Amino acid sequence: MTGTGAPTGEEDGAVVQRGSLDLTLRRLTRDRAAMVALAVIVLVVAMAIFAPVFASLTGHSPITQFRDTGLSPMGIPVGPNAEFWLGADQLGRDVLVRLAYGARVSLLVGVLAACCASAIAVIVGTTAGFFGGWVDLALSRLIDLVMSVPFLLCALALVSVLGPSLMLSVSVIVFFSWAAMARVIRGQVISLSRQEFVQASRSLGAGPLSIMVVDILPNLTVPIIVYTTMMIPSAIVFEATLSFLGMGIVPPTPSWGGMLADASSNSLYLVAWWMVFFPGTALLMTTLAFNIFGDSLRDALDPKSLRTARRLKRDRKGAAK
Amino acid sequence: MERPMIKAALGAVALTLAAVPVLAQDPQTGGTLRILATGEPDHLDPTTGAMVNTNNFLRAVSRQLISYESSNDETVALAPVGDLATEVPLPTDDGLTYTFTLRQGAMWDAPSGPRQITAADVERGMMRNCNPVLGSFSLSYYTMLIDGMAEFCDGFAKVEPTAEAMKAYMEANDISGIETPDDMTVVFHLKEKAGDFIYMLSLANTAAAPVEVMDYIPDSPEYRENFIASGPYTIGEYVPDTLLRLVRNPAWDPASDPLRAAYVDEIEITMGMQADAIMQQLQSGDADLAYDINIPPAILAMLTAAGDEKLVAISAGNTNFLFINTVSGNNNGALKDLRVRQALQYAVDKAAIVQQWGGPTVAEPVNGIFGLGVLGHHAFDLYPSAEAKGDPEKAKALLAEAGFPDGITLKMPYRNKDLEVATAQTLQASLARAGITLELIPVTAADYYSKFMTNPANTKDGVWDIAPVGWTPDWVGGAARSVFQPQFTYDGTNHQTYNYTDYNNDAANALAAEAINATTPEETATLWGQVDEMVMADAPVVPLIANKNPRYHGEAVQNYRIYALGVEGDWTNIWLDR
Repeated sequence: MTGTGAPTGEEDGAVVQRGSLDLTLRRLTRDRAAMVALAVIVLVVAMAIFAPVFASLTGHSPITQFRDTGLSPMGIPVGPNAEFWLGADQLGRDVLVRLAYGARVSLLVGVLAACCASAIAVIVGTTAGFFGGWVDLALSRLIDLVMSVPFLLCALALVSVLGPSLMLSVSVIVFFSWAAMARVIRGQVISLSRQEFVQASRSLGAGPLSIMVVDILPNLTVPIIVYTTMMIPSAIVFEATLSFLGMGIVPPTPSWGGMLADASSNSLYLVAWWMVFFPGTALLMTTLAFNIFGDSLRDALDPKSLRTARRLKRDRKGAAK
Repeated sequence: MERPMIKAALGAVALTLAAVPVLAQDPQTGGTLRILATGEPDHLDPTTGAMVNTNNFLRAVSRQLISYESSNDETVALAPVGDLATEVPLPTDDGLTYTFTLRQGAMWDAPSGPRQITAADVERGMMRNCNPVLGSFSLSYYTMLIDGMAEFCDGFAKVEPTAEAMKAYMEANDISGIETPDDMTVVFHLKEKAGDFIYMLSLANTAAAPVEVMDYIPDSPEYRENFIASGPYTIGEYVPDTLLRLVRNPAWDPASDPLRAAYVDEIEITMGMQADAIMQQLQSGDADLAYDINIPPAILAMLTAAGDEKLVAISAGNTNFLFINTVSGNNNGALKDLRVRQALQYAVDKAAIVQQWGGPTVAEPVNGIFGLGVLGHHAFDLYPSAEAKGDPEKAKALLAEAGFPDGITLKMPYRNKDLEVATAQTLQASLARAGITLELIPVTAADYYSKFMTNPANTKDGVWDIAPVGWTPDWVGGAARSVFQPQFTYDGTNHQTYNYTDYNNDAANALAAEAINATTPEETATLWGQVDEMVMADAPVVPLIANKNPRYHGEAVQNYRIYALGVEGDWTNIWLDR
């Protein structure tokens, strides 16, 4: 699709009317980086969904230890070969199968935590921004408080007191991720609530809840979508960090951070590069993909953004030639 | 070390050497021995030192009545010889009295100039063991054996913990069982016969103490600043957590010390390094010795594969095993049933754990409570299986018989560190074969013994069902007592910290008493062997592996001979060839 400055409708010369969703999708699909990122995300999601297929294909469950074929007599894992496509880990387990099951944990934690955090952020941010006064003062200080807590330290303390589990990991991540987004939403709401359409709504007798949900919230769609997408990779990394420190997912459940921790403990990475390379690459690619995609999504959703404008200009020039 | 944090221990040594360095040239004097460490020595004051590796430092700066010649020959390395004492005395008075003659020319590096170490210094050293500020880990052995020591310590415990008050108490009181007829003679009177008393006097905790140290709180910064050495080296520079430099002690006379040759001029311990970095520097020859690391299995595999002769595996008598919680009511008190405990014995795959730890170079399956090199360790297996891989069928049958045909779920805490994580998952997989489901509970390594395991409430409330723990005997050779008594005896009232479940077997205790009084090593070994089998018949623990400690040294290190208590080449006998 080049030179799309010119309309390409069903009938030549006819002007096609496009909705905003349609336009957004068109802008998005034109962004090559976004498409590659999306492909990676789809791949990871597929890997998570079809994890059992990998298990049955190789005949290895994610927690079975193959001490004879996966380990040397001195306990050193074997590298990628016909039986273990991506090598074995320090307990003789299949890295490929664990990687696939680990994707489930990463995505579950990433998506769940990002959604919960953005829900909290929207509620807190809108309330603070709309009501102002002491409500704003209290909630803003709460946001400041959460943002000023040294989060890793606090997370580790919490987990070591309560004992690690998946739900606790998610809760900790949610607790420490909503604040930044809440602050952005609050700012947006403050500026929106002074606009004429809100005043109009109020003069027609709409209550605060109605104004927030019906009038203001739809205008926040873009920041909410973008921030939530951007929060997914940081939640994934956060989970990996907790697991890396042995405070996230309880073994033997595979998680990418835990797999990296396995490689680094006892200096195994010195002899088993595959134990670092594969989970590390998976983590890197996934977070990178979500970040790039989130970035492109912002550009696509916001036609006024500088980057979109520049690209459109460039495309138009290209079409003119 | 495997041993719980503070009471970490010394070693019984079985030297299994990958290679014994050959004396190719004449010894060279001089140079700086460079040692790399992750952390500090736990204490610099000999009375309070408790970690195994601290013994290497204390060997260089202090002297005990009894010590060991550093050697790569097990029988030599484990034979007690006179250090500050001229020789190892034979007990008199039916084994209750030991008389030591001190060595002429063994000097304190006192601020007022070199001064002979006297009998009063030896008694003062024993007194300091129960000071009310910072006691010694081996105190209970002395109060149990030495006449009047318990009374002295009871009084000392009530003293205000200030240097002045402690000094006054030590000057005004006496241990009735330690006599000093003249400056060069010390006599110990025991309450009961103890074949292993001589070994206890090789511990650094019993080191003599000069009169000046009474002015300081034990191991305080002031004590460290005014350190008075008796060994060939003394503290030259000390920056906590960073650097410890030992320089020659001018008061030390080589003629008075048959055990330490002191070839190098300086010993420099650099702290705060990572295990990987330490190994790299050792391999490149930039450093000479490691202070406090076990070689990681991955590097170990590379070194073994390359046949590196600088690799040495030393046993300190440690064992790793599972303690079984017979106290809690979990699963309707299932673990109180002997059959369930026996099922656990059959279910574990010891071979897998050996493999996880790095293979036969560094570990072997063990079936009793004693580790390699401890008199009493012998080959037996009450719960045999092919190649030590476990017998899940037998375990299942025993479980079914005990009323758990569908298996059982147990809670197992583990230290969240290094090999422990892999070991826990290995255990989980091997027990799963027999229908035993393990719920793993990760615990921070620093809290594992100090807060989790030693809290009796956790045991009673069933916070854990089985727990992987380790133990290293307190001294070398005839050290079975220091494995058995703290962990497998209970007098009915006083809970012992490391006997988590108050296990007791009166018949075994009686036999152990005989073993302690046995006179020949053969008899001692046989009797302790029987104790071992009696304990294992009750199955209070599941023995897993007896492990050796892999050690590595730089290329320049010559005359690498093992000092049994330090589980490392003797710093005071190494010379350098750079």
